[in-house]
Amino acid sequence: MSEMAVTPIEKSSPEARDELPATSRPWLEQIWLDTIGRATAKLGLVWIAIITAVAVFAPFIANSFPILAKIDGRWSSPLLHYITPADVTLIAVSAIALALWPFKRVGFRVKCLSIAGSAVIISIVTLIVIHPPKAEVFDRYRTLAKEGRLEKAIYAPIPYSANDRLRDQFKVDNPHPRAPSREHLAGTNPNGADVLSHLIHACRIAMAVGFISTSISMLIGVIIGGLMGYYASWVDLLGMRLVEIFGSMPTMFLLIMFVAAFPDYRSIYLIMAIIGVVSWTGDARFVRAEFLKLRHQDFVQAAIASGLPLRSVLFRHILPNALAPLLVSASFGIAGAILLESTLSFLGLGIPLGEASWGQLLTDAVGSGGSFKWWLAIYPGLAIFLTVLAYNLIGEAIRDALDPKLRKRD
Amino acid sequence: MIHYIIRRLLLTIPTMIGITVLVFLVMALSPGGLAAGLRNESGNMRPEARKKIEDYYKKRYGLDRPLHEQYLRWMNQVLPIGFKEPDAGFPKNISFGLKTPDLGESLLLKRPVIDVIVEALPVTVTLNLITVPIIYAVSITTGIYAARRRGALFDNAWGTTSLALWSIPSMWAGVMLLGFLASREYVQFFPPGGQHDTLAMQMPFLPRLAEDGFQRGWLLDAAWHLVLPVICLTYAGFAFLSKLMRASMLENLSSDFARTARAKGLSEHVVLFRHVLSNSLLPLITMAANIIPGLFGGSIIVESIFGLNGMGKLMLAATYSKDRELIMSETLVVGIIAVVCLLIADLLYVVADPRVSYE
Amino acid sequence: MRWIPNFESEIELPDPLLQIENLDIGFETARGLVRPVREVSLSIYPGQTVAVVGESGCGKSVTAMSILRLLPSPPSKVLGGSIRFAGQDLLRYTERQMQAVRGRDIAMIFQEPMTSLNPVYTIGDQIAEAVVLHQKVGYREALQIAEQSLRDVGIADPHRRLREYPHEMSGGMRQRIMIAMALSCKPKLLIADEPTTALDVTIQAQILELLRKIQRQTGMAIMLITHDLGVVAENADVVAVMYASRIVETATVEELFDHPKHPYTQGLFRSIPKIGVTSKRLETIPGTVPNPTRFPVGCKFHTRCDKMNGDPLCTTVEPLLREVSPGHWASCHHVEKFADSPVTPPQLEHKRETDLSAVGEVKA
Repeated sequence: MSEMAVTPIEKSSPEARDELPATSRPWLEQIWLDTIGRATAKLGLVWIAIITAVAVFAPFIANSFPILAKIDGRWSSPLLHYITPADVTLIAVSAIALALWPFKRVGFRVKCLSIAGSAVIISIVTLIVIHPPKAEVFDRYRTLAKEGRLEKAIYAPIPYSANDRLRDQFKVDNPHPRAPSREHLAGTNPNGADVLSHLIHACRIAMAVGFISTSISMLIGVIIGGLMGYYASWVDLLGMRLVEIFGSMPTMFLLIMFVAAFPDYRSIYLIMAIIGVVSWTGDARFVRAEFLKLRHQDFVQAAIASGLPLRSVLFRHILPNALAPLLVSASFGIAGAILLESTLSFLGLGIPLGEASWGQLLTDAVGSGGSFKWWLAIYPGLAIFLTVLAYNLIGEAIRDALDPKLRKRD
Repeated sequence: MIHYIIRRLLLTIPTMIGITVLVFLVMALSPGGLAAGLRNESGNMRPEARKKIEDYYKKRYGLDRPLHEQYLRWMNQVLPIGFKEPDAGFPKNISFGLKTPDLGESLLLKRPVIDVIVEALPVTVTLNLITVPIIYAVSITTGIYAARRRGALFDNAWGTTSLALWSIPSMWAGVMLLGFLASREYVQFFPPGGQHDTLAMQMPFLPRLAEDGFQRGWLLDAAWHLVLPVICLTYAGFAFLSKLMRASMLENLSSDFARTARAKGLSEHVVLFRHVLSNSLLPLITMAANIIPGLFGGSIIVESIFGLNGMGKLMLAATYSKDRELIMSETLVVGIIAVVCLLIADLLYVVADPRVSYE
Repeated sequence: MRWIPNFESEIELPDPLLQIENLDIGFETARGLVRPVREVSLSIYPGQTVAVVGESGCGKSVTAMSILRLLPSPPSKVLGGSIRFAGQDLLRYTERQMQAVRGRDIAMIFQEPMTSLNPVYTIGDQIAEAVVLHQKVGYREALQIAEQSLRDVGIADPHRRLREYPHEMSGGMRQRIMIAMALSCKPKLLIADEPTTALDVTIQAQILELLRKIQRQTGMAIMLITHDLGVVAENADVVAVMYASRIVETATVEELFDHPKHPYTQGLFRSIPKIGVTSKRLETIPGTVPNPTRFPVGCKFHTRCDKMNGDPLCTTVEPLLREVSPGHWASCHHVEKFADSPVTPPQLEHKRETDLSAVGEVKA
């Protein structure tokens, strides 16, 4: 019988001292509540919610095509005519996610799976059903209006698409980029596109890059880190060399080298994959350390002694415990991925021209002649900064919520 | 300690080899290959002339050989020790010994890559040598100050500020500084770019007061050109390290050994600076291994914005023109520098922390 | 064996060396004010060993830390009471005056010898630091003093050890070093906060034996914080039992071990295995220590008490420490003549004359 059970005076252990009044909520939920209880985290979440909403509804916020138009006496919706499968999928999936959210009885895993499943199904369906016109003539409806054929039109709040270069509004005495004005609230870029519209449509790239690259890097990190921690010995030694190689190389150089290796195949998916491939080392280190630390602990040893395979102990019991710390790294990882993408786009190595990205807008702020266009620097820079900051704030709030020392204090 | 150092040195070898393999594989398996760069360089060349160039490079780098042979060939070429003339045929090809490393030829600059790198490296290294001490000085002082007044105004304000600083994209900072402090439209206080004024070579080395007013001299001119780039490179680093320093100070301030030191009757000042600080600096040594690669990466952005002809700008130029040899060599050199920094940081840690030698 | 007093004249006063009166300590937390120490009164006479016994979280370590004013403030603050050392109230001292007391007059050793030494400095540096500070000697001389105190605590080859780092030593060795450091300035009072808890049983015995030996040689007083009744029996002259922030019973060691009066103390003794009684199952005190944020009203022990029998007094009125018999203080309504006993601060100028090896077999 252990000493603890016999004597009422137990050895004073730090765990016993830190013991808090037991909470009935599951641990992760408690962490989550602690996290969003912090003002900074709330601010971050609000900003991300705004950016996400803007990203989802981008075509309805900024579009050169009217939502409703009466041409030659007939009503139509050019905006819906030009809508892409991606637009529809995004809106449908976020509607499903929002609808599922309030149901407390539906488990988190079920929610995630059903959202992911519906995303796949909807995207396939939309790809088959929706065929927007290949050529987009952005100034078509403005021309029609000039000709007087457009009798009535309801436009989106910002009546310019991101790639609308305003060819019909070209003026020799007022070349692009134009400073902010009543027509273009955030000015135009050197190509003549509306900056605000660009900013809005670029939310999509930022959000997508953040989530997908981080998922890729976490997947690689958890698998490699898990293998290292599970097999230990030479697998660990080998894995650590791999971690050291990827970890010690300056990320930007590694990133640019990968980008340079695909000179003719540049696409946003490639950039996401590359960012994921160069930034997994932190997660791998963490999962490995967690596995190695825990596999020597008594309860794991006991579980193994009682016949439970180590694999099941590690992946079914330890990994879920490591989930919350991984959330911290995910949050910081998303911030990092957005930074990396915008940096690449700023350097002209990121997403292909023609797609909207905050970093790309920033490139044109300092023109070749050394002239400075403040609206091309401040607005996109602020967008990147605030989004990165929001994720960092959330990451830090989760980390603080996880830290028992800090929890005890407040 | 010696045991640990030897082990650490030995473990560096596979990492170094790993970096060469990674760099080689990525570039060798690149879908475009050498041809992409050549197409770019010799767009309006006659087909037979281009063929000639292509054949020359194929032979030079052994590109028609199998992959592993290409790699070994490249390693032999890059290393300062190896076979001097591998293609010369027996018996000349077995002459083994020290030689000048050959990093190939740049398609873009039509010069040996090693010469180009030797020119660019000092610029980047100078930037880092200025940046690293600033980062450490700022983060240590602010970290100590914030930890001493935990929960006070400065601590909270600095905590938020450093997280904000850490989130500022450095290209944004660069563009804004350049735009507002070095442009015709706003304040033109700093030079818009470059390492020197065009007239720098005629300047005296040190600043002096001449009859026609103040002359800033070569040194001050160079420093003046580096102010904005250095700002761009430092703020993220010290924001990050300062938080780390604060956390580690707080941990050690409430540690058992700090309590022992207080129980001895030492003043809080002595406890802080003699006992807590020495322990809190330890994690910062390890962090140098993260900071320095980050700075090399950051130099890409800063050098391209401020027009400094260092490794970063060279890497970009190489990437734009798909200059295979230049990209490979750049990444290799930077990677090896990073691994060496990692090694130095680890060895410094061994010296600083008596515990390591024991384990 | 006899304890031979070795007093200097100024300590040989009838006054206690340390007198804590009605000490009240509060911690400001998000869940409100927590009071880990309430109305604690305790006296320690020169050359005496006073043991403070109790479960973890009962406030014994906080009491010890508050004597040297080592509790971080905020969150801690003194709500009332006094701590008089050689007649002077330590709570009124400035921080600078306090620093002169720490290490020189009152030294302290801690529970965790593994982490209580600074890992980046040598043993010699850390001991000499205190010596230089308090004895106004040079570093070289301080190192010699450090070497001597290492020899005093029975460390072999002290000259070599001076240049070693803490991690190169075992836990027992480190605790010896902590003791050497504490003794290097010849303090009048040594506060030992669970000095042996983290150590192996054999090492525990060695360390305690060392403390006894040093006490015999120097005549310093020891305040021994522990949860181990075996340690108490072997080392203490006077015992104070703490439960839920208060001292619930205090008496000389013989008196307390022979006639425990408080049901908590009695419960403690029942839960110790005794030699000769092997067949019976060991008793435990039912329930757990109440959470300091939610102490019960009335007697704090009534939730676990076997003597209460539904007495409404216990659940409404908190019993304060009273001198229930000469030299024996307890706080329980169910002790004989409790209501008539005087409320006096406990002062026990007792020094043990005999070696209680018979009780020493009691092990917690």
